[in-house]
Amino acid sequence: MGTATGIIRALNSGIKHLAIKRFTLRYPEEKLKFVGDGYQYDPSTGVGIAGLKGRHMLFHDKCTGCQLCAIACEGVAEAIAMVKVPEEHKHNKKAIMPQIDYGKCVFCGLCVDACPFYALYMTNDYELCSFSKEGLIYTPAQLQVKPYVAQDVDIIITDRGASHG
Amino acid sequence: MTTELPRDIKLASSEKQIDQSSSNWLPPGLALQKVDEKIMTLNVGPQHPGSGHMRLIIQIDGDYIVACDPDPGYVHRGEEKMAEYRNYITNIPHLERPVIHDSCNILYPYVLGVEELLGIEVPERAKYLRVIGAEINRCIYIMYWLAIYGIFLGHSTMFMWPTGDRELLIDLMEKMTGARVTHSHFVPGGVRNDLPANFEDVCLRQVNYFEKRIKEYAAVFYDNPILISRTKDTGVLSRQDAIRLGTTGSVLRASGVDFDVRKKEPYDVYDEFDFESIVMKEGDSYARSKVPWLDMMESCRIIKQALEKIPKSGSVRVKLKPNPKGKGFDTVYKRVESGRGSLGCYIVSDAKPEPYRLKLSVPSFRNLIALPYLLKGEKLGNMPAVYWSLNYWPVEADR
Ligand code: SF4
Ligand code: SF4
Repeated sequence: MGTATGIIRALNSGIKHLAIKRFTLRYPEEKLKFVGDGYQYDPSTGVGIAGLKGRHMLFHDKCTGCQLCAIACEGVAEAIAMVKVPEEHKHNKKAIMPQIDYGKCVFCGLCVDACPFYALYMTNDYELCSFSKEGLIYTPAQLQVKPYVAQDVDIIITDRGASHG
Repeated sequence: MTTELPRDIKLASSEKQIDQSSSNWLPPGLALQKVDEKIMTLNVGPQHPGSGHMRLIIQIDGDYIVACDPDPGYVHRGEEKMAEYRNYITNIPHLERPVIHDSCNILYPYVLGVEELLGIEVPERAKYLRVIGAEINRCIYIMYWLAIYGIFLGHSTMFMWPTGDRELLIDLMEKMTGARVTHSHFVPGGVRNDLPANFEDVCLRQVNYFEKRIKEYAAVFYDNPILISRTKDTGVLSRQDAIRLGTTGSVLRASGVDFDVRKKEPYDVYDEFDFESIVMKEGDSYARSKVPWLDMMESCRIIKQALEKIPKSGSVRVKLKPNPKGKGFDTVYKRVESGRGSLGCYIVSDAKPEPYRLKLSVPSFRNLIALPYLLKGEKLGNMPAVYWSLNYWPVEADR
């Protein structure tokens, strides 16, 4: 193949892209859809449930303060610290619950695998930035809140190419 | 007021620098030379010569390279030492850090090794899920590598297209594992979670479209006369040299040696798929850049076959005891074919929850060894084309 034909073919395949849909996700305006409500784990079968590994969610009515999540995280990022909580639960004599430092967490989800009482799950919330280091530390009360996550678009494939819509 | 240093002082200091550098490992014809009026030393890096921190000490005579000494080690993280202080499960998140784009494949040999040490039998469905994950990850890595190869050669379209199309596969991995790059998905005993509902259809649709997309790269990149003129016959690695220097993966296969670990020593269920290991004869930069691209098409074939053959139900993870231990003093070596070549993991266990010693044998480092041989006599302008065609990832080489 001659040089000229080769270059024309290359240009041609670029020009064809003018008719193809834009693939870029316009992030802050539109947000990607996820499967499920975040990564969860079922200790009875030992298998997780697919979902995004985002910010954690702690169920105060189930957490016993057993510290297994903190022990699991010790070898990973030391992001979990056990702190005192003001409320009293029958199942949580010591009144301690995990507090997670998202400046350290790597979102591996091993703490979720470690919790035997269905108390710690992950959610679809991934927008965690903060202006201060302290703002990244989530107390048990903050972890209890179920986040609202906008889920607008998914990848759609048509004859005119793939796009987010 | 500036004072010029006397000329001989300059010479002395650069000589000393050469003595201290690592160039002793190179054979006499390739070692760094004494700097004189003709020969100049050029440091490429260590601030990101394209892909992570590493330095190439290059000596040029005019426009031609007379010697090159790669100097890796700027991103050494002590992964192997760190592994001795963590148990077999908590090792997973940090062991995938060296190549975050290929995080399933770098965990694969470790997971296979630990399974053999602990005597775990993996469920059949998990094996297929691992193959799907590993093949999608291989494509994600190669697309990233290809994007950087494009920008190294000043071809910015080839930077945009792979970066965009890679998103299709990242989206699949995000649905499957819950993380976009560092998945932490493979564990001793299977995978962390089962597929989400409807995943097979989405995966098939996106992989089909992806396959169509990468075929379009032929016209714009691989058949492009400008790329061919820059990469054909540059940095030719002969078959004998490729074997003698111990290169692996796409570099070895581009030099005409048919060696693919997936074919030669099938692990998990790779022996059940119909695919080819891509071999090219030329051994130049062009062949080395084309082999990974053809590899991706084979990966797409494997993914589609795996989606068909996967058992429709069944467990995906064996429940382990907390802090699983090896039975006694034991060693194991496992290797897999990663996006860059054969990636091995050697584990020594001494009946503790932590490995006694863990050694990663990485393809990047083995391919880098060929660089001084390939660059000698090349033009400096061809350096990026040769360097990046070696399928080299600095962070992985340094561990
Ligand atoms: S996700 Fe991983 S790093 Fe984050 S708190 Fe849990 S165990 Fe620690
Ligand atoms: S979250 Fe789970 S593992 Fe952590 S302290 Fe509470 S019950 Fe224990």
